Amino acid sequence: MSQAVTIEHVSKVYPLGSTEVQALRDIHLSFDTGEFTTVAGPSGCGKSTLLNLIGCMDTPSRGEVYIEGQPISKLGDKELTRLRLDKLGFIFQSFNLIPVLTVFQNIEFPLLIQGGFTSKERSDRVRELMEEVGLSAQAKQKSNALSGGQRQRVAIARALVTRPRIVLADEPTANLDSATGERIIDLMKAVNQSHKTTFIFSTHDPLVMKHATRIIRLRDGEVLEG
Amino acid sequence: MRESLALIIKVAFRNLWLYRLKSTVIAGLLCMGSFIGIVGLSLLHDVEHSMQDSIISSVAGHLQAYSSKAKDDLALFGGAFMGRADVGTIPNLASLRDVVKQNTNVADFIPMGSDMAMLGRGNELDETLTSLRGALKKGETDIIAQRKDELKFLFLQLERELTERAKLSADKELMDRYRADLNHALEPDFLGTLNALDEEKLLFLDTHIAPISGEKQPIYLMYLGTDIQLFKQNFPKFKLVEGEPLGPGQRGILISYKVRETQLKAVVARLFDELKKRIDRVRVPIKGDVENERAAADLPKQYQQILSSLDRHKADVLSEFLKSIGIKPKSAELITGLKEQLQEFLQVDDTNFQERYKQFYAQIAPKMKLYEISPGETIVLRSYTKSGYLKSVPLKVFGVYTFEGLEDSDLAGVMNITDLITFRELYGEMNEESKKELEAMRVASSTVVTDAAGAEDALFGAGASASVPSVDTHPVETKTDSKKKEILHIKPVISDVFPESEIQKGLALNGAIRLKDGSKIKETRAELNKLLKEAGIEAKLVDWQEATGIVGQFANIVRLVLIFALGVIFLVALVIINNSIIVGTLNRTKEIGTMRAIGAQKSFVLGLFLAETAITGLIGSIIGATLATVFLFTLHIKGIPAPNDIVSFLFSGPRLYPTLQWNLVMTTPFVVSLVATIASIYAARHAAHVKPAEAMQEKE
Ligand SMILES: Nc1ncnc2c1ncn2[C@@H]1O[C@H](COP(=O)(O)OP(=O)(O)O)[C@@H](O)[C@H]1O
Ligand SMILES: [Mg+2]
Repeated sequence: MSQAVTIEHVSKVYPLGSTEVQALRDIHLSFDTGEFTTVAGPSGCGKSTLLNLIGCMDTPSRGEVYIEGQPISKLGDKELTRLRLDKLGFIFQSFNLIPVLTVFQNIEFPLLIQGGFTSKERSDRVRELMEEVGLSAQAKQKSNALSGGQRQRVAIARALVTRPRIVLADEPTANLDSATGERIIDLMKAVNQSHKTTFIFSTHDPLVMKHATRIIRLRDGEVLEG
Repeated sequence: MRESLALIIKVAFRNLWLYRLKSTVIAGLLCMGSFIGIVGLSLLHDVEHSMQDSIISSVAGHLQAYSSKAKDDLALFGGAFMGRADVGTIPNLASLRDVVKQNTNVADFIPMGSDMAMLGRGNELDETLTSLRGALKKGETDIIAQRKDELKFLFLQLERELTERAKLSADKELMDRYRADLNHALEPDFLGTLNALDEEKLLFLDTHIAPISGEKQPIYLMYLGTDIQLFKQNFPKFKLVEGEPLGPGQRGILISYKVRETQLKAVVARLFDELKKRIDRVRVPIKGDVENERAAADLPKQYQQILSSLDRHKADVLSEFLKSIGIKPKSAELITGLKEQLQEFLQVDDTNFQERYKQFYAQIAPKMKLYEISPGETIVLRSYTKSGYLKSVPLKVFGVYTFEGLEDSDLAGVMNITDLITFRELYGEMNEESKKELEAMRVASSTVVTDAAGAEDALFGAGASASVPSVDTHPVETKTDSKKKEILHIKPVISDVFPESEIQKGLALNGAIRLKDGSKIKETRAELNKLLKEAGIEAKLVDWQEATGIVGQFANIVRLVLIFALGVIFLVALVIINNSIIVGTLNRTKEIGTMRAIGAQKSFVLGLFLAETAITGLIGSIIGATLATVFLFTLHIKGIPAPNDIVSFLFSGPRLYPTLQWNLVMTTPFVVSLVATIASIYAARHAAHVKPAEAMQEKE
């Protein structure tokens, strides 16, 4: 199986006033295509930092991150942005929908940025995904009229609309009640199965963890197991 | 690309709606800026054109030529008021004209020369004596009594003046003689028994008393000597309103309507005019307005002016009229009664003014001498020539002229127009006859003439005793020449006509150049400068704007003020726009971060913020442009009244009808939003630098 993400000896140091915070220490990991992995650990252990590095939103202090074999440290902001747009999908803890847009428009948004689709192509893809996440009826609603669970479904559809190879989700259930959270993870799992999309999500909730096919445990910036 | 642009606009619109209060403030500012910009620039454009028309078509022409050796700048409408500007001379206008006319864009060259002269106004005592003589002849007792009162008043005034003069005068003997004569005239018997045509007494008054008094306060008149035929052809605003035109080769003067109305009209009428104008045009009532109240208070004092111009018959008619409108005399005696009636009539307030104004012009004005100068009369202009001698030139008044649409304007109409020959005479240039006479005198007295000033000295010094009327070296204040009356019968040195060829050549001070194509002023000026240089003529050219001094620069000054005001508005708008983007960036950090995280480029974010400004700018400025259009259209129909004389000059008439300038209306919104957008680049870049990782921040 090919490798979706490879992390080689990655460290991340944040400056904090006059001192530094060692957020990640010499991480060495790889994720296979189609894996459904969770990064688990207590708050402050470095989960978000790790996902940001994989998500090409930040660069490591040391080491290298490869996305489908491509090293990211040499890439500039433009290329990194393009990489995020084309290969990655993002699901956020607080959903991060664009408040002024409707459900349909939020999902369509990445396709418009990507360009090159006819409006029918866009519409087909968006409708398909809305059905998949069970929100067909809410297409014309503004995102701020939705419940937390519904918002996260929109976010999942938005993350999938460009058909990314890898979807990253930083604590996608943290702002949801446990029942809803579980259903969201089930939905992600279903997508993972049907689309063969690699999923990497973080959580500190043991109930959520158990759905993952692989668990990477972090503690103080270091991998305990996985 | 197209899709992302559409997306940007869509998101931008939604954000504007989300932050509508802020958007409204910015749009409002840009709306105001566009409105002021369009209205201001449109009006300025119109004023500039009408003013240009006023100036070019009244006296300046497109270009003015004058001596390059001039010490002062040529200022056709200003500057010369304060003193006589030295603009040099063009010794030979023919050579200048010939060179100027070589250029194909030059339509005409109109020689000019302007200066200031004093109007000889005669002696009040003389006038009263003449009137008394008439009354004595007809035996009008009331009028006789009236004139005698006036005479007594004048004598007493003379007595006071004489006391002052005696303190300064070295000629004690003369002063004593004057005082003795005056005392004699003041004896109660002298005027008291003058009830018939007593030639002995009258002669005494004519020859002994009248010479003691000086002339009335002189009036200074600006005059412009020119080739009147050329002037009429080239300045289409020129219009004769009274009298007859000055034909080719005729010497004379055309009085300015404005000058006549404001300086040469009877004070009582001027006060009525002044009040009428302020009440009707400026719309301030008499009560409560300092200027109007002063004028109204001055009016009743002017009865004397009316009385002194009436004979018994007219006085009777007027008294009857005043009785018919309910103003009854208290005294039975006609003149005393009429004086009381007039004093009452001239008492005006806001309730009776309009009626009194009408009655004054219908009943009183036609009976009196309304103007000091009228067409058909001959006046004497006096001026100090270049060499400092006082020169008098008698001049027939042919007519009264004005510049069409500029009747009320102080600026265009201050010049009285005369012929170039008269100008040269007043200015000090000698004509052929003067030269010949001088030559004859020189031979006769074998005076050695060394320079021009000396020649003039010789001519004028001798002139007084040789009874030459056109020259007069006596100071104005004292007049001891009892031979005055005989002198008037002698044929003047300057003839009333002149060969036209004389104004084709010779001296002028400046010349107006009318162009065929008025839009090529700059080019033609450069070409003419070259021609003048090649021909070696010492003349320089200024355009109509420069030639009219501060007045011509008016539009530029207003433009600067307008641009400054617009600049301030835009600066405020830009500070608010930038500020709101920066604050907006802080509020929307997570949203921007999210867009960046899911793949939007920096340029997308930049574009989004710029689009928000551009859309706000467009909406605001289109509303502004629409309002401006409606506003200007309303003004276009109604017209803007000129509140005062200077403005009516700028408007080239009593009202300005602004024109809509579509190109300005169409382009302003785009310019405004473009400027606003460009100015917001800095703040928008700030927004574009939000990091994608900001999407992760947890606060909503
Ligand atoms: N931008 C940052 N600047 C400074 N320190 C940071 C920053 N982001 C994270 N850290 C620190 O790095 C460590 C790991 O943080 P994080 O990756 O957010 O942990 P988790 O997501 O597991 O809660 C923490 O000690 C945190 O305080
Ligand atoms: Mg975290």
